[in-house]
Amino acid sequence: MSESPQRTYAWLRPTPEEHVGWDVDVLYGPWPRHHRDTGLDEVRAHLRASPVAGALALSTRGPLYDDAAGNAETLRDLAGCPELRPVGTVDVRDAPTAEDRLDELAAAGVRFLRLFTLEQAAEPGFPGYRHVVELAIGRGMVLLHDGDPRRFGPPLMGRGADVVFLDLHAYLLADFLLMAREEPGFRATTRMLSGPDSIERVVGAVGSRHLVFGSRTPFMDISPQTLKLRYADISPDDRAAIATKNVEELLA
Amino acid sequence: MPIIDVHAHVGRWQFHLTTGDADTNLALMDRYGIDLQIVSASEAVVYDAVAGNAALREALETRPRLYGYAVVNPNRIEESAADLRRCLDTGRFVGAKIHTHYPGRMPGCREMAEAFDVVAEAGVPLLLHTWGREVTLLPELVDARPGLRVIMGHAGGDAWREAAHAAAACDRLYLEHCRTATDAGRIAYAREAGVPVERMLFGTDATLIDPCVSLGVVRDARFTEEELERVLWRNAAELFDLKVGTALPPVV
Repeated sequence: MSESPQRTYAWLRPTPEEHVGWDVDVLYGPWPRHHRDTGLDEVRAHLRASPVAGALALSTRGPLYDDAAGNAETLRDLAGCPELRPVGTVDVRDAPTAEDRLDELAAAGVRFLRLFTLEQAAEPGFPGYRHVVELAIGRGMVLLHDGDPRRFGPPLMGRGADVVFLDLHAYLLADFLLMAREEPGFRATTRMLSGPDSIERVVGAVGSRHLVFGSRTPFMDISPQTLKLRYADISPDDRAAIATKNVEELLA
Repeated sequence: MPIIDVHAHVGRWQFHLTTGDADTNLALMDRYGIDLQIVSASEAVVYDAVAGNAALREALETRPRLYGYAVVNPNRIEESAADLRRCLDTGRFVGAKIHTHYPGRMPGCREMAEAFDVVAEAGVPLLLHTWGREVTLLPELVDARPGLRVIMGHAGGDAWREAAHAAAACDRLYLEHCRTATDAGRIAYAREAGVPVERMLFGTDATLIDPCVSLGVVRDARFTEEELERVLWRNAAELFDLKVGTALPPVV
């Protein structure tokens, strides 16, 4: 077998095209189904070593164990982390208390509410889920929404909702695009838009304002996602919108 | 240092994305510096194995950087056995591919056992789609067939921990980690489980998935230079007895 001369792999080192101002999908804390846990310090170190400059984050305590205590923990922990902004959550299995949770989050200036329908086994028609969503939309919160957009998207249409779908897979893209045509507030993360032209199709069909960056750190590798942004055949302005500006607008 | 991609496809997929034809594979390979790619026909995987393999035979005739997997359908084993021999006789096919989802047959069933027998008799590596805890059956199935070497495509998917332990238990099982949802820590976990770097292969699932996704996984795995060489090409060159030339395409 003959060998080839040494080459430098362009993809092995990050470039400025991989810079991300805001990652909307970051967690920290125990997750019992995973093989190890990652605390806040380790998550921060991981982000510092990546092209991601800032993130919207929350403690896993809220979705998995105690929403009120988890929200309090997130606010307390992130107070000393200038690169992280707190995200709140409400357990849809305990929806009658949602109003109190949302009041607490509003008092703390939290604008983003993350829902964990997969972990909490909620479906779009469940009364608890519908109650939480109605309260959150009424307060103008941005929903960071897990699950299948084909199931959770339609009931959220026609309500002026700002929603970021965190689990949009490339296989489901057609359905998302049909909804996004009618919903200026529907966005998705690029995390699972893995097709050779998935990002380009969204930008071409409905515009880059419908995409944001969300890595699911520390549970997913970051480089596959920053490389997708780098190599996407889109304009620098569109790349900047996806990586930074769209989230800045939601934070404003 | 060259790159050999051991998991790719030629042809369309039934989703909202542009997969192109064999020339699209080559264009993506040039973009990322991938020298050789071993491909199966998507038509053969999802629809008609014999017709898809025949179309791929034609595509390979004029594209020396692509090698073929003949798709074996466990539900048409006699027909597939003859077709596998037909493909291998061309000298352009170097392995067999078996999917589990589309034919609806999993390791542990009679049809899959017969398909393993056919591939073992042919004496070529098998790329097996693996996605679930059935991977725990593979060490016994492979041990029972001397000479059979199996690449666990997607490294078990969601069952990547089980796949790692299966590979650690059988030295003729190889891990290949391509997938859309790039769970963090899969490669480190496999190495801790006892899988040597000599049995890790690079695959992309192109053109269903953009190669940068798998390249990002490799970047985040933080291999040493020697390990990188093993994973990116040397292991594959040895497994498939491929000659890697010195005239490499430019790295963009």
